[in-house]
Amino acid sequence: MRKYSALTRAGIMQELQFRLGTFATIFGNLIYLTLIYNLWKAIYASAGTEVVNGMTFSDTIIYLVLATALFNFLEMFIVWDMSRSIQSGAIVLDLLKPLKYRRLKFFEYFGRNVMTFFTTFLPTFIIVFFITKGAIKIGLNIIFFMISVVLALMVNFYIEMFVATICLHTESTWGINIVKESIVLLFSGATIPLVFFPEKFRIVVECMPFRCIYDTPLNILLQKPGYTMDTGLWTMLGMQVVWCAGLSVVSRMFWDISVKRITVNGG
Amino acid sequence: MKNEKEYAIVMNGVAKEFKVLNRREGLMGSIRDLFSRDYRTVTAVDDISIKIPKGQIVGYLGPNGAGKSTTIKMMTGVLEPSRGELIVNGCVPYKNRTRNAEKIGVVFGQRSQLWWSLPLIESFKLLKEIYLIPDDEYNEMMELYTSLVDLEPLLHKTVRQMSLGQRTLSDILAAFLHNPQIVFLDEPTIGLDVSMKAKIRELIKELNRRKNTTVILTTHDMGDVDALCERIVIIDHGKMIYDNDMEHLKTYYGSYRTLKLRMPGDVWEEEVIDESQTDVMSVISDYQKKGKILDIKLEEIATEEVIKKIYEGVAG
Repeated sequence: MRKYSALTRAGIMQELQFRLGTFATIFGNLIYLTLIYNLWKAIYASAGTEVVNGMTFSDTIIYLVLATALFNFLEMFIVWDMSRSIQSGAIVLDLLKPLKYRRLKFFEYFGRNVMTFFTTFLPTFIIVFFITKGAIKIGLNIIFFMISVVLALMVNFYIEMFVATICLHTESTWGINIVKESIVLLFSGATIPLVFFPEKFRIVVECMPFRCIYDTPLNILLQKPGYTMDTGLWTMLGMQVVWCAGLSVVSRMFWDISVKRITVNGG
Repeated sequence: MKNEKEYAIVMNGVAKEFKVLNRREGLMGSIRDLFSRDYRTVTAVDDISIKIPKGQIVGYLGPNGAGKSTTIKMMTGVLEPSRGELIVNGCVPYKNRTRNAEKIGVVFGQRSQLWWSLPLIESFKLLKEIYLIPDDEYNEMMELYTSLVDLEPLLHKTVRQMSLGQRTLSDILAAFLHNPQIVFLDEPTIGLDVSMKAKIRELIKELNRRKNTTVILTTHDMGDVDALCERIVIIDHGKMIYDNDMEHLKTYYGSYRTLKLRMPGDVWEEEVIDESQTDVMSVISDYQKKGKILDIKLEEIATEEVIKKIYEGVAG
């Protein structure tokens, strides 16, 4: 384990090297959030009611602001990184380390995620918390949120890793990655809260693993009905654990089969 | 005969085949390729058997595309051989990739294994954790490094700020840090200036001597071979065409001389002569018939010429 925690530390240090990137992300988010704000304002105006699908305008905005922050925090570029290192042949260097490749990647990214938590998610949360003056309740939900976020991070990693493994077969992943990103962002509730989905579609989406990444941790934090201690928190966390375990096995098996057919370009 | 345990690497009839799609030409061809099942088999490495004793520096040579890198990737456990038996440090590398990785070090002249945006000392500390190097061994190694090269100015530089020479030097130090039994050096002096090349060769030689590390060196620079290798193995088209020690190479081709003649118009003509076949005087007199010889030089054949002869001998 000592080996891997060293990688996390390196990830943190590497993230710190690129300070400008953090500011660029914050600036980009401001533009995106302005857009979101006006878009939903229009939606609520045309709906003509205060509450749409059980969410007020400010509920929706709080949710989406935090979803954006969570997205910046959880974002991984494994697919890009891996397809690039397969094409250049640099992947051989990682394979030559006395480490399990998937674990190496996880802990390297975990280091970055720890950093992005402090640089993007936490500040956003604090700002939202004070601006909305008590709309977010603070209590045990913070602890459950933290547990849920770690599970979300793992689910996200396994999905990323699964798609990245496809690189070993295709050596080109641009299209596949775009498809993955669209699916994850839509079906996870990162761009539109799941309650806004049509009933039947929502039931299908709720059976998929993607919601574990954004929908579950955010609603636990915001203590929405169905995500509180009295109304199904344990089911939600349980679902995350089950998906996490399932995807871990599937993505690992796929990797083990695929790594055998590696050809390693160059040299 | 040596005991099997004294060998760092044993290869027995090792071969590696790749399946390659037969690509068609043009746009339509590319589209049809999407659904093609038309594969051909390419043999990158064909029936190679060698035994490398511990502590030896072996030059693993061959023209571009001969199968050198494929062999190294098999030895390091990244690729699985299609046929044959391959034992490195007493175990089968591709079956125990991570365990094998603990006992080997690798340097690719064209890429760096160091953390690009971190100072060198941080990369070293990371490697210390990854390879679980005990404190005393790590400190001992750092002391050794300090005595061999001017390490201090490098340690606090990030790798991306280094010159190619400094980076290669750092990469070599990193590869030896966990005191591996075998180090693979893939074109370590590529793109370096003369003095840096000399420095790097000196360092490799010293580390090999002090730590009794087996070194497998691939290079296209015969200066590396002359300075370092006790033995050379040459492959071409995946087949082994030469395996013997440096001394043998020199004596075997010792009867070769390079004759250089300056002809009218200040042109230097070069001729490699096998003295057991032709005699130098007759060549000179042949040239004399063509014009006046202004100057004559007779040189020992360079390793480069010998290797060239071996490459051409098989290809031609």
